[in-house]
Amino acid sequence: MPEISLRSGSHCVIGQFRAMASPCEILLEQHDMALCRQLTELAATEAERIEQKYSRYRSDSVLSQLNSQAGSWQTLDVETMQLLAFADSCYQLSAGLFDISSGILRRAWQFDGSANIASQQQLDTLLPLIGWQKVKREANRLWLPAGMELDLGGIAKEYAVDKVLQLLSLQFTDAAIPSVVVNFGGDMRCSRPRDDGSLWRIGIENPALADQAISAVGLSNGALATSGDSRRFLLKDGVRYSHIINPTTGWPVTDAPRSVTVAAPNCLLAGMLATTALLQGRDAEAFLQAQQLQYWLVP
Amino acid sequence: MQLKQLANISAALAAASCALLGQQAQAGTVLDDWQFNSAILLYNETDRVSAGEAILTARGDFGDDKFLNLGLVVDALTGASATGAVAQPYVQSFTRPSGRGSYDVAPGVTPLDDTFHDTRVQLDASWEQPLAPNWRVSGGGHLSKEYDYLSMGLNGSVARDFNQKNTTVSLGLGYSHDTISPEGGIAKAFAPMLLRSSYVDDSSYQAAFDATRDRADDTKDTLDMLLGLTQVINRNWLMQVNYSLSMADGYMTDPFKLVSVVNSNGEVQQNLYETRPDQRTKHSLYWQNKLHLSGSFLDASYRYMWDDWELTSHTADVKWRLPMGDSWYVEPQFRYYQQSAAEFYQPFILQTEPLPQYISADYRIGKMNTYTVGAKFGTKLAQGNELSFRIALYQQTPENDGITAPGVLADVELYEKVTAVMAQLSYSF
Amino acid sequence: MKLTKILSAGVITLLLSQLSACSTLGVKPWERDVLAKEEMALNSAPLDSRLDDHIYFSKEGSSGGRSFAGGGCGCN
Repeated sequence: MPEISLRSGSHCVIGQFRAMASPCEILLEQHDMALCRQLTELAATEAERIEQKYSRYRSDSVLSQLNSQAGSWQTLDVETMQLLAFADSCYQLSAGLFDISSGILRRAWQFDGSANIASQQQLDTLLPLIGWQKVKREANRLWLPAGMELDLGGIAKEYAVDKVLQLLSLQFTDAAIPSVVVNFGGDMRCSRPRDDGSLWRIGIENPALADQAISAVGLSNGALATSGDSRRFLLKDGVRYSHIINPTTGWPVTDAPRSVTVAAPNCLLAGMLATTALLQGRDAEAFLQAQQLQYWLVP
Repeated sequence: MQLKQLANISAALAAASCALLGQQAQAGTVLDDWQFNSAILLYNETDRVSAGEAILTARGDFGDDKFLNLGLVVDALTGASATGAVAQPYVQSFTRPSGRGSYDVAPGVTPLDDTFHDTRVQLDASWEQPLAPNWRVSGGGHLSKEYDYLSMGLNGSVARDFNQKNTTVSLGLGYSHDTISPEGGIAKAFAPMLLRSSYVDDSSYQAAFDATRDRADDTKDTLDMLLGLTQVINRNWLMQVNYSLSMADGYMTDPFKLVSVVNSNGEVQQNLYETRPDQRTKHSLYWQNKLHLSGSFLDASYRYMWDDWELTSHTADVKWRLPMGDSWYVEPQFRYYQQSAAEFYQPFILQTEPLPQYISADYRIGKMNTYTVGAKFGTKLAQGNELSFRIALYQQTPENDGITAPGVLADVELYEKVTAVMAQLSYSF
Repeated sequence: MKLTKILSAGVITLLLSQLSACSTLGVKPWERDVLAKEEMALNSAPLDSRLDDHIYFSKEGSSGGRSFAGGGCGCN
C-alpha cells in the first residue's frame, strides 16, 4: 500500500497518497480522523491494485502481459474484458477518435515543448499498427494483432476514481454514506452533497494560464474530469501541436483547447467526454455543447 | 462525418460507463428499490361527517430513470351531510333520497341527512420514463369504486427540460369516465321530495315515488389538460406556474341535495331535488414557490380558478418547514380559500317566482370562505424512513350573497359554519 | 369579473416575461445541492397533497391547479 498522510482542512479532513503518477486525495466532510484514515487506506489499496493491473510501466501488469502476447488468443479476467468493452464503446461513439491502440504513436512524438515534428515516413510505419477495429474479442478472450499495443492510460485513472468511490460507499448503509470526494490528480467524484449545504471547493491543476484558468471548482455531487495539459506540446513555425493525436492520421490535433473539464455523473464518463472533446480540435466546444453537460474550457 | 462526431454521445457513454462500473447490476435487485409511503387521515366535522382515509403508495425504481407508481386508497365516510333544505322554526320531516325511510329535523336546525355511509376503494398505477435526452413521459390510470359511484380514468404527460434542466415545460392530459347509480334511482329535474305520510298506503306512495325517478344511473365525462412551467430561479428558489383546463360533460347534479320552496313568510311549501347544468368548463392558474431560507423551507402557492358556472375562487396556501435539532422538523401550515357563488346557487326559492333552468342550494357552490390552520411534525428515522403527524383545523364560513330572508327564515341560520378537525399519521419506508 | 381574470392573467404574463428576460436565471449543475433536497421538491409531501386535494374537492367548489382537477368520487 502506498504511504498515506492525513491532515485537517478547514471544512473537512483529508487523506493523501500517491498513485497513478498523481497526487491522490480522499476528502471527508465529517471531522473524523480515524474514519478518514480507514477510508484512505482502502482507497490507496484499491488505487494501487488498479495501477498494478493496468500500468504500461510495470512489466508484470495484466496490460503488459497482454501486449507481450500480441499475435495469439489470450484469456482475460472479467474486469479487464469489461474495461475493454467500455473502450470499445468509446471507440465506436467517437467514430474512431478514441483508440486505446494509438499509444504506439509515442514512438514518433515526444511532446517536450521542442520543435521535433515527426516525419510522415515515421508515421507511415506506425499507422498500420493502430486500429482498435483489428482487435478481436470473444466472451473472455482477446486477440491482439502482432506488433500492436494497448494503452489504458486514458481510462485507468478515471476508472480508479469511480471504483474507489464505490468501494468507500459500500462501507456504509445507503442513508449513512458521508459526503466524500475521491480526487486523483484533478479527476474526482463526490458521493453526495455536503450536509452543511456548501460546495466542495477543490483546486484543479491549472494549465499554464494561471489567471484565466479554473483554479477551483465547486462540486456538490457527481464527477469532474479534466483532459489536456499545456506543458506537453510541440511548437514549430508558429503552429502549436497538442499532445492529443488523431489516431487515424497520426498527427496531433491542432486548434484544440488547452484543457477541457467536464462534469458528469461518474468520472469515467466525464473523462471520456473531456478527451473526446479535445480530439475534435476546433470543434471541441461545439461537441461539448451537444453533450448538454456542464464544461469548462481553456482555449 | 463531422456532424456525426458532434452528436450527443453522452447518454450512450453513460450507459457504457454504468455497465463497466456494475451500477446496473447493483440496482438490478429491483425489490430493494421500492419506496413505500403510507398515511391514515381522520377527518371529523362537528355534528356532521366523519371520514377515515388510508393510502399506501409504492414507487419502484427500474433503473435508467424508469419508475412504476402504484397506489391504493381506502376511505370510509359516515355521518350527516347538509341537504340544502332550509331550517324552520318547527319540526320538519324528510324522506331519505332512496325513498325508503324518513327522518325528522328539530326546529331551528339546518336539515342534515344522517344516512351517509360509504366506502370507497381506489387503485391507480402509472409508469414514467425518459423518452429522449431532456424528455420525460408518463402514463397511468385509475379505478375508483364506491357503493353508488364508479370512476375510471387514464392520464398521460410529457415534459421537456431546457436550459440545463433549469426550465421544464410539461403538458398533461387526463380523461375520466364516471358513473353514478344512487340507491332509488336518479330524480327528475325539480322532482318534489315526497312524504310517505301524504299517501294512504305503501303502494300508492311507491308508485308516486317511482314517477319522480327517470333513470337508474347517469354518467359524466371529464377531460383535463394541464400546461406547466417549472423554473429554477436560483440555488434556493424553485417556481412553478400551471394553467389547467377541465371540461366536464354529463351528470353533475348532486342526487341527494334539495332546495326549499318557501312562501312570502319564509315557510317551506315543498322541497325539490336540485338540478345543475350538464356542462362545466373550469380554468385555473396555479403559482407555486419553493424557497430555501437559511435552513428552512417555504412552500407558498396561489391559485385562481374560474368556470362557466361563474364560480371564481382564490386560494393561498403556505407551508413553512423548520428544522428542529438533527432529525426533527415542524411545519406550520395555513390555507385560505374564498369563492363566489355559482350563478344558479340560491339558498331557497320563493313560491311566487318561476322555476329557473338550474338551481342548487348546496352551500359548497355558494359564496363562502374557508381557512385551514395546522402543523406537521416529522422525524427522519434510520435508513431514510420518515414518520410524521399532522393536525389541522378546517373552518368553512358560507356567506349571504345579498339575499333577503323572508319571514321566519330571518330567524334561522341559513349559512351555518362548518368546523372540522383533521389528524394524519404518515410513514415512509 | 372579466376584468379580474384579465388582470390576473396579465400579472402572471408580466412576471413570466420578466423572468425569462433575466439571463442569469437558473443554476449550474454543481449548484443543485439545495434543490436536490427532497424538501425542495415541488410535491415534497405527495400523500398530504393527495389527501388535501380529496378533502377540498369534496368540500369546496374548486379543484385542481396543482395537478388534474380530477373527479373520481361522489364525495359528500
